Amino acid sequence: MSKNLKMKSSRAAKDMSQKDLADATGVTRQTINAIEKGDYNPSIKLCISICKVLGKTLDQLFWEDDEDA
Amino acid sequence: MHRTELDEMQVQKRNMVGNQAFMLLFYLLLIDIGLNGFGFRWLQYPMNVFVNMLGCRTYYLIRIIWNNSYVGPRTKTKNIGRQIGLVVGLASFVAGTAAYLEKDSLRIPLSTGDNGAMILFVFSIVLFIVLAIVSVITKWQAKNDE
Repeated sequence: MSKNLKMKSSRAAKDMSQKDLADATGVTRQTINAIEKGDYNPSIKLCISICKVLGKTLDQLFWEDDEDA
Repeated sequence: MHRTELDEMQVQKRNMVGNQAFMLLFYLLLIDIGLNGFGFRWLQYPMNVFVNMLGCRTYYLIRIIWNNSYVGPRTKTKNIGRQIGLVVGLASFVAGTAAYLEKDSLRIPLSTGDNGAMILFVFSIVLFIVLAIVSVITKWQAKNDE
C-alpha cells in the first residue's frame, strides 16, 4: 500500500498534528501514523470521520489514481 | 467511540497476537504431552503446564504492548498512584484479617506437597520482569513519538 500523502498534506494545511487528528477522530496517534504511511487500511467509518474533521471528501483523501498507486 | 476502548487498528492487532499466542500455547502443550509420552519429564505436573501458560501469557502481553494495543485512545490516564495504594491497602487488610482469624493455625507448619509456593514465586518474578519490560517499551515508544 502506498503512502497517503493527500491526507498528510490536508492535515498539515489545517495545521493539525497527528495527535490532534487522532483525538478528533477517537483513535490513537499510531493509527493515524499507520494510515499516512500506508501500513494500515482504515474502515470506511474511520475514513468518513477523518474526512469530516479535515473538511474533505472521501475521493479527495482516499481515492488512488493510477499514478498514485 | 468510547474513549476507553481500543480503536479498530488496535483491536485487529490484539486479535492477531491473541490468535498467535493461543496457537503457541496449543503446540507447546502438545509438545509437552509428546515429550511426556516419550518418558522425558522436564518439570513435574502442574508446573510444566503453568510454565507453558505463563510463557504464552508473557508473549501475548509483550506483543500487544509492543504493538500499542494494550491501552485505548484515552485523553487522560487515571491516577495510578491512588490505584496502587488501594490495591496495597486492600491486600494488607485481607492479609491482616486472615492472620488474625487464623493466628492459631499459623503456628503449625503446613506441608501440602504441591508446587503452589514455587508457582507463586515464579509468577511474582515473571510479573516483575514483565513490568520492567513494559516500562522500557513505553519509554521507547514515547521517545519515538513525532
